[in-house]
Parts: sequence; C-alpha cells; structure tokens
Amino acid sequence: MRSAKVLVRALPLARALFARRPARGVALSAHQTHWLAMLLFAVQFPLLPFVPLWIGLFGMLLVGLRLLFLRRDRAHGEGPSRPASSWLLLVAAMVAGFAIRQDFGYFAGRDPCVAFLFILLGIKFLEARSSRDGALLVCLSGFLLVALFFYSQSLLAGFAALPALLLIAATLQQLTVPARRAAGLAAWRSVLGSAGRMLLQGLPLALLLFVFFPRLSAPLWGLPTDRSAKTGLSDRMAPGLISELSLSDAVAFRVDFDGAPPPARQRYWRGPVFSLYDGREWSPLPKPQPGRFEPAGSAPISYVVTLEPHDKPWLFALDFAVAPPGPAAPTGDDAPDSTLALLTRDQQLIAPTPVTQPLRYRQLSVPKASFSAGDGRWRTEEIAANLQLPRNFARTHPRTLALANELRGRHVGDAEFAGAVLSHFNEQPFVYTLSPPPLGAYPVDGFLFDTRRGFCEHYASAFAVLLRAAGIPARVVTGYQGGEMNPRGNYMIVRQSDAHAWTEVLLDGRWQRYDPTAAVSPSRIEMGLGGALPLGEPVPLLARLDSHWAKGLQLAWDALNHDWRRLVVGFNHERQRSLWQELDLGRLPAWQMTTIAILIGTAWLGLLLGWLAWRRRRRDPVHAMWQTLCRRLARAGVAREVHEGPLAYTARAARRWPEFAAVFDIVGEAYAQLRYGPDVRAERRAAERRLRRALQVLPRARQLARS
Amino acid sequence: MTSAATANRRFPSETLVGRVRQRMFRHAPADDRPVVLRHHRIYILPSKRGWAFMGTLALLLITSLNYALSLGFVVTFALIGLAAIALIHTFRNLAGIELRPLSAGEAFAGNPLPFSLALSGGSLPRYTVHLCANEGTDVTTDITPDVALPVTLELPTRRRGARPLGRVTLSSDYPLGLWRAWAYVHFPLEGVVFPTPEPAPPALPIARLGQADDGPLARDDADLAGLREYQPGDPMQRVAWKAVARGAGWYSKEFDGRGGGGPLALAWHELPEALDGEQRIARLTAWVLAAERTARPFSLTAPDIAMASGQGRDHRRQALTALALIEGTEK
Repeated sequence: MRSAKVLVRALPLARALFARRPARGVALSAHQTHWLAMLLFAVQFPLLPFVPLWIGLFGMLLVGLRLLFLRRDRAHGEGPSRPASSWLLLVAAMVAGFAIRQDFGYFAGRDPCVAFLFILLGIKFLEARSSRDGALLVCLSGFLLVALFFYSQSLLAGFAALPALLLIAATLQQLTVPARRAAGLAAWRSVLGSAGRMLLQGLPLALLLFVFFPRLSAPLWGLPTDRSAKTGLSDRMAPGLISELSLSDAVAFRVDFDGAPPPARQRYWRGPVFSLYDGREWSPLPKPQPGRFEPAGSAPISYVVTLEPHDKPWLFALDFAVAPPGPAAPTGDDAPDSTLALLTRDQQLIAPTPVTQPLRYRQLSVPKASFSAGDGRWRTEEIAANLQLPRNFARTHPRTLALANELRGRHVGDAEFAGAVLSHFNEQPFVYTLSPPPLGAYPVDGFLFDTRRGFCEHYASAFAVLLRAAGIPARVVTGYQGGEMNPRGNYMIVRQSDAHAWTEVLLDGRWQRYDPTAAVSPSRIEMGLGGALPLGEPVPLLARLDSHWAKGLQLAWDALNHDWRRLVVGFNHERQRSLWQELDLGRLPAWQMTTIAILIGTAWLGLLLGWLAWRRRRRDPVHAMWQTLCRRLARAGVAREVHEGPLAYTARAARRWPEFAAVFDIVGEAYAQLRYGPDVRAERRAAERRLRRALQVLPRARQLARS
Repeated sequence: MTSAATANRRFPSETLVGRVRQRMFRHAPADDRPVVLRHHRIYILPSKRGWAFMGTLALLLITSLNYALSLGFVVTFALIGLAAIALIHTFRNLAGIELRPLSAGEAFAGNPLPFSLALSGGSLPRYTVHLCANEGTDVTTDITPDVALPVTLELPTRRRGARPLGRVTLSSDYPLGLWRAWAYVHFPLEGVVFPTPEPAPPALPIARLGQADDGPLARDDADLAGLREYQPGDPMQRVAWKAVARGAGWYSKEFDGRGGGGPLALAWHELPEALDGEQRIARLTAWVLAAERTARPFSLTAPDIAMASGQGRDHRRQALTALALIEGTEK
C-alpha cells in the first residue's frame, strides 16, 4: 500500500518523461484497458512458478503500473489512458533482455525467450493506446498461454489456462465494440457469459480437430535442450543424492498393469547402472554397448508406463525387460517402434533424446533376479571395469580391505562370500536412516566401521566395494523399488520417494541382483520407505503408511491426473493412430479423412446456425406469428409500410378484405397488446391465444389475393 | 427509347459477365425495392485483426506440433473453434437486416447532402453495423429489435447537379472483430445539389424596374405591419407561428408595402452579358432565395426553364432544382 502511494507520487516525474503521441486507430478506452489487464494477469499468473521470481514480479508490476496510471488519470478527469513513450519502453525492453541474458547465461533458448515475452507483454501494455495494440496484446498473450505448457501439462495447468481462454474471447469482443460502449469489469458476468458461450459452441470443432489433426511422430526441428533441473535420478551417484530425492513426493511415473501387479519384492524398476567408482562417486561406463533382451519365458508381465518428464534419456522397466518399449496403444503396424529406446548391455533402456514431455510406452518384463551377462568381445572389458577400485584404495581403505580378506578367507565361493557380506550387514548394528551422519574423505571405511548409519546408496556402494575388494565383479544399479497401487483408477504410482539403489554381482556368467538394504531393513522392500524408517524420520507425507485423510484426497487427485495424462496429454501420434483404427478410419487415405473432418465441422456450423434461428423463433412466438401475417398479406398484395404500426396496418387490411375485418381487428389489437401492453401474464396468454386462433382463421395468401 | 435507357441503367450489361458483375458488386442502382440481406448478398472474409489472429494460431499450432504439447493443441483448437464460431455470429449479425430507401435530400453545393435509409433487424438485436457510401460519412449503429431505425448518410458536395447516393456498403465485424462481413446495396436514390448562391448579389431586379432603389437587399426585408386572418395559400413563412403556438388561432403577418410589389421576373437573358453561365446560375439562385425570404412571388426563365410566377417552399425548390440541373454551361 505504501509503495503504491510512493508510485503515485512519482507519477508527475514519470509523466514528464513520458510523452504522448497521437494514437493510430481507435483509442483504447479505460474499460478495454481493464479487460486487457485481466487477460495479461490471467496468462502471467500460472507461469509464475516457472519463470525467475524477478521476471514474474516485474512483468506483473508493469501491468499493474498501467492500471495505476489509468486510475490516476481518471481521478484527474483526463483522457482514458496516458501510456508511456515508446522510446523509453524500447530502452526498458532492451535492458530487460540484457538482464535476462545475464540471469540465464544465454538468450537463444526456450526459457529466456518465455521470460522475455513475459516482460515484453507488460511493456507493450504500458505503451498500448489503440485497439490495434490491444489485438496485438491478445495475440501475444496466446503465445504466453501456450508457453505455460512447456513447463507443465498437469490438470492444474489445464485449469489455469481456462480463465485466460475465456478472457481472450471476452477481450477480443470488448475491443470490437466502440470504445465508449465497452463494458466495464463490473459487467463481467454477461461479458464472460457470452465469451464462454462462444467457446462452448466452438468446442465440438476443437474436439474434431484434436482427434483428426495429424500429429508428428518426430519434431520438426531439434528441440533446444534447456538447462533446467527436474527431480529424478541423476547420472551420478554420490552419498546423499538418493536420500535427498527420497524426501520428494513427486511422481516419477505411473504404471497400468494388464494383469495383476507383481508382488512388492519384485518391483525393481531399473534405472541408470553405475560401474565406475572414484572413491566417492559412482558413474556409468562411458560408451554403452548394445545388449540382448532376456528370453520372454512363459508369462511376461505387460504394462504401460506413463513417465513424467525427467530430462534424462533413460526409460524405466521392471527387471528385466524382454522386448523394447512400444507405443502405449496398439497401432496398425505390428512392429514395435524401435526408435523409442535401445537396450544397453547392462539392460538399461535408453531413448535417443531426453524425455522432456510426458511419455507413455508399453513394456514387457519377466520378473527375475538375474540375467545373462552375455559373451562377446566386451565381456572382458566389462569384468575389468566392474572390478576397478580407486587407485590408492589399499592405502585409504585399510579396514574395508581387511574385512573383505577376512570374509574371503572363510568363504571361498563367490556366492557364499556375497551371502556373508549380507549377513554382516544384518548382524552388525547397522541402521537404515534418511539422515546419516556426514562421512569423511573415505566414505566406505567410515560407513562400515564408524557411523554404520546410512541409506540405500550407502549400503549398495559399500557392498559393491567389498565384493570388488574380494575380486568379484559388482556394480551399483539405481532406480525405483516399490510403488503404490492407487485404488481409485487401479494403477501404480511410483514416486521419487521410492528411489532406490541396489547392486548386481557377476556370478557364473549371470548378473545376480543383491539388495543389501533388504538385509538391513527388510520392510523397506516389502512396505516401502514409510515402513522401514524409524519413528521421527522425515518421511514424506505420501510415503507414510498411516492413512491420513490428506493422502486419500491426494490419491483421488492423482487418479484424476493419471486419466488426464493418459487421455489428454498422452494423445500423441500413436494414440491418434490407434483411435483412428478403433473408429475404422485407419485405412482411409488422408484426403478422405480431411474431407470427413471438414464435412463434420461444416455440418456443426450449419446445425448451430439452424439452432440459433430456431431458438430465436421459439423465444418470441408473438413476433414469429406477426411476421407470418405480414408475409402472408404482403404476398396477397398489402405489404406493411415502414411507418405503419400494427393497428394501422390491420385496419388497412380490413378495408381491403372487409369480410375478414373482425379477424384483422382481433389480430391488430392482440399484437399491439402483446407488444406494447402491460406485462400481465394471464392477459398476455389470452391475447396470444386470440392471435393464434385469428391467424388460423385467416386464409392463405393465394386465396386472399383472389378474394 | 426511354424504357431501353432505364433497362440500360438497371443492367449495365446484358452479357453474362455483366450480370455476374452486377450481382457481385452492385455497380448499378438496381435495388428498387427494400432489400433484405441474405446469404447471396453477404460477403465475409477475415479482417486485418483476423489475419493476425490466424497467423498467431498457425504459430501456436506449429509450436504444439513440434513440442508435442497436447494442451497446446487443446488451447489452439479451442481458439480455432472460437474463430469459426465468430464467423457464424458475424454472418448472423448482418443476415436478415432489411434496408429501405427513405429519402434523398437536398443541399447547396459545399454542404453535406443527406440521404435517409431505414434499417430494421427483425427480432434480433444487431450490433455495431457500419454503413458507408462512396466518400461519404460513415455511420456505426446498433439496431434494436423490431424497430425501423432511420439512418442518415451524408455525401460531400462540390458542384451543383443531381447526385446519386451510389452504392452503400453495410459491414460489421461483431462480435470478435476477426471477420468482416459486408454487403452492397445500391438504391436508385438521387439527391439534388443546388447551385451555390452568389455571395453578394445585386438587388432584386424588381427594384430596378419599379422603384429604382439600388440599396442593399436587406432593406427589402420590410417591417412588420400587422396581422390578418390566415387564408389558405398564405406562404408558410408569413404565418404568425407564435400566435398559433399560444393557441390564439391562425394569423398571417403583413409587411410594410415597401418590399412588396408585383411578381418578380427572374430571367437568364436579362442578366449582364459579362456573366458566364455558372455566374448567372449563382445570381439567379441568390435572387430566388432573396425573393423567397421576402415572400415575393417570382417567375423564372432560363434555358430549358420556364416557370410561371409563384411562391412558397415548393416553388422555391422547383426553381432551385431547375437551376441545379441546367446542363452544359461550361465553356
């Protein structure tokens, strides 16, 4: 409030700087300016979480400033608006552009451009003076509205776009009526009502286009990779990364199973696999080699994954995938889309481009604990990489090495050794916790012998290191473990809080899964994070086991979101094809499809036109009857003059056809009463009846003309 | 011969191309009855704003395609649907409007020449209907339901003569301004542009003939002498309207005899030789006005004009019209 006052005081100064130039076209009225401001707010507001804070505040402040100018001008009884001079605003735009360049570090990307558009809208609004500027602003706000969907296509974003859509229609309408007659915001109900009606009337056309307008299976031009950070697994694993991720309730992906979901202990969703260890961080092998799918076996599980965009190339599948991911909906051609993702030698599914939009794919898996490591020239390299330890490991981790040697002495077989390490975790006082104490420079030693408190990444990392120290190839696998069935909608939600790390050990030519976390806290695998962590740990709300009412609400909301993702957001090239198949349109050539769509669209417009005419006639039956009479008499030779009232006209007709004089009397009087008389319901109804009956008595035009 | 001439005017060409052109553009004033705008008369195309909006939609579509933004498609298609529906509403806003020619006006050259049309929109309210005639004033108006709305279009005038209204364009971009619907109507309305009177004409010729008074014309504006009972045929200017308004009955004013006198004879051939045709017309016009102002009967002779003596509004109009329509005085 105070700052507003300061701003108002600063106005004279600003006014001295701002010059006035004559408007081109029709000048904007105050009411029209208000509508424009509402539209701009409506498109700016939903974007606030996605643009830098200063951009959001500055952009909306510019719009507010214009409103302030307007109020001030009206208080002084001046013209409706006094916009700022263009050169000043040009300078402002350039400064804003420069600041955005500094903030983002680059300009020619999607995000800086959206931010610039955000500001530009405010600047242009400050300068807008004619209805032409207003129309330009409406077009620009359309861009900003669609830009919102770069960042989120959630149900909420869809709802947030609705007011803006309505206001686009309303503002266009208010810009069309003469400026002095534009309705103020106070008349919002009628203005938005008529705008909404038009949008609704256009809805069938929009639906038609949505179904029939062809989508692309690949983008027209390369999508710029923007440097944004999304929550999700990383392509590195350092201590603390996964436990941090586990604090998030965000959805990683959702799964629709064709049959029953596998039991909790089989729900290992495979993500990045890490073989290289530098003493602190795990990282993947630099050059992934192509792998072979496991044999399908008897009963593979079939399911559809709806992956939230995570800006990384990997897709998730249950261990282990037996076929490449295919389109979520069956298309005409049976061959699965092999470009969706490739399988690497370590059984990861890698897409050619990062997943920046919600992605749906169908996947086949066989739940198993091991897979064949395969042969070939990469085998030795793979073994070498998975045995590698940091160069000065012996010097920095003497206790780990000693433990490995001691256990190795007692257990000769590789499998026995791995089992012994698990028992070690199980028998020693290890604690599973989200908030482990900080580890020193040599994390494995410190964790195994000093703190003994850690999260899955600590256990997986220590386990792999112990096995490598004993000469057994081992590596760390990250992904998600678990997932919660949503009873509403019957699908599985996998959240970031399900993020997990486990290990794989090469035994007898097969990579065997070992989950050391299960040895420490078996309930983590069976019941998820909420069941595994001790009381007092900061478990995210939705990962808790107790049925909080908020969780029930959240599940319902998530089910809605899932349908939204599946039906609306996920309506892509493949789904469109499969819908066409279902409608038996898949085989038609493109031109026939186009013709059908155009015909349906035209039919709708025709129908609408007819309906509007019919409604008008129904709404005013008296007028319709009067029109019928006038037309009939005109055809019979007595057309109504412009200046003739109903009584004079019927009197003239009565003179022309004296045999119907009484009828004409009744008609004229009844019509005059209905049109100009008092609004008494009973009387009106009687008059209407008289009018109708009189018209029935009156002969057709041809007979009248003859008599 | 005359019927052929009218036919010629109605249909500028008997050829097929000519008829199609007339149907499309209404070049000839062939609308001799009230016109109801129907689909065959209404054209509709995107307005400038509409083109810009469509360009925006195309860009939004390309963006949505490239980024595979399903919600982008939803918004874009909703806006395309909106634009398509606006087409219907724009058409409906003009369709069914009835136009009737009411009257063609008169004006002195240099003044705007008014033409009246009646617009009625049936039971549907019509918004921001825009009318304009060639180079004339524009009128933008709403039409309330069940009302015949008189609209006056004014044409600028420069020269005396007959001045047709020409083709009238009705247009509207209601409700969203994305489409402009328009229709041509060409009524055979013809107004008359009276000649400009000479600014400071010499005194009326009667003065020279009778009383040899060369004083300025204004002195002929005689003093009020008194009132007498109104008799049918008395010029309207002489009716004592104040008395009528008071309800005192009908009286005519009588003036001092100085300005009166016998009927004036305004004659083309009696004007000084030095005056050319247009100057003569200007002087005669000024004299007609002066005579009428002082309520004197006058007769008028000029090439192709021989008006008997008379007075009153109609007489004046006939005289002025005749003067306006004199042909071929340019050298």
